[in-house]
Amino acid sequence: MRILIADDSRVMRQIVIRTLRQAGFDDHELIEAADGRQAWDKYLDDKPHLVISDWNMPGMTGVELLRALRSAGHTVPFGFVTSECTTEMQDAAAAAGALFFITKPFTAERFTEILTPVLG
Amino acid sequence: MSTEMVPTAKDLMVILDQVWLSYLDHDGVNPLVPVEDVPVTSEIHAWVAINGSWPGHVVVTCSTVQARNIAAAFLGMEPADVAEDDVADVLGELANIVGGNVKSMLPAGCVLSTPYFVERGADPFRNSDQVCVTELVGVWHDEPLSVALWHSRSDRVEVAA
Repeated sequence: MRILIADDSRVMRQIVIRTLRQAGFDDHELIEAADGRQAWDKYLDDKPHLVISDWNMPGMTGVELLRALRSAGHTVPFGFVTSECTTEMQDAAAAAGALFFITKPFTAERFTEILTPVLG
Repeated sequence: MSTEMVPTAKDLMVILDQVWLSYLDHDGVNPLVPVEDVPVTSEIHAWVAINGSWPGHVVVTCSTVQARNIAAAFLGMEPADVAEDDVADVLGELANIVGGNVKSMLPAGCVLSTPYFVERGADPFRNSDQVCVTELVGVWHDEPLSVALWHSRSDRVEVAA
């Protein structure tokens, strides 16, 4: 499977990738995007099977990206990995069609728990 | 005075414990240790702004050496091998993670900014119209680190016991 990772922090993208490997998801093709706009473009180019996105990014936020994807009819599984952890944010994510919501800081165990049903 | 409550130093320590266990001290053998009356070298400032119902900032302050220690641990490399951009990125992300968790303890209606980073500049908050309402100082690798919560309306804040 192809997984698109969108986060404006290069270090956090690295940590997400490292954590995916630690969680046992090391045989997937990983694509990176530095903000929501770039993630939109990479989605159209590469058609990933899963999008893992930060919430708070310059230009286009994660939830704006999700809403844009759904508005255009794209049903790709989409989840957030974010420091935003309020109930209102989680409700907004679910309402927009997010499949999961992982808050930072996170562990490999948390990735395994949340992503196993998605990635198998 | 209103009954607004803000996170305490203990709350900040709980957040930082989670950050350390997740990214800096996986085995729990070298945690950040809270201290009192230890001056923090004010060379690095990384912060996120909180806008909306509780305007303020979450600010991480430390020495350049400590910033490199933290960046190296995040990235799993030696401090000498860490690039300048990575130091800014990691310290900004640290402020962002703490800020996101702090926001969940504040009144609804707050919005977080993306992170800011300043090295060797003047302290952006010490002489501003904001007031430090909570500060946690911890020592890690023999170097202090401060995480502070600043608020722009000091007369309306009551720190939780």
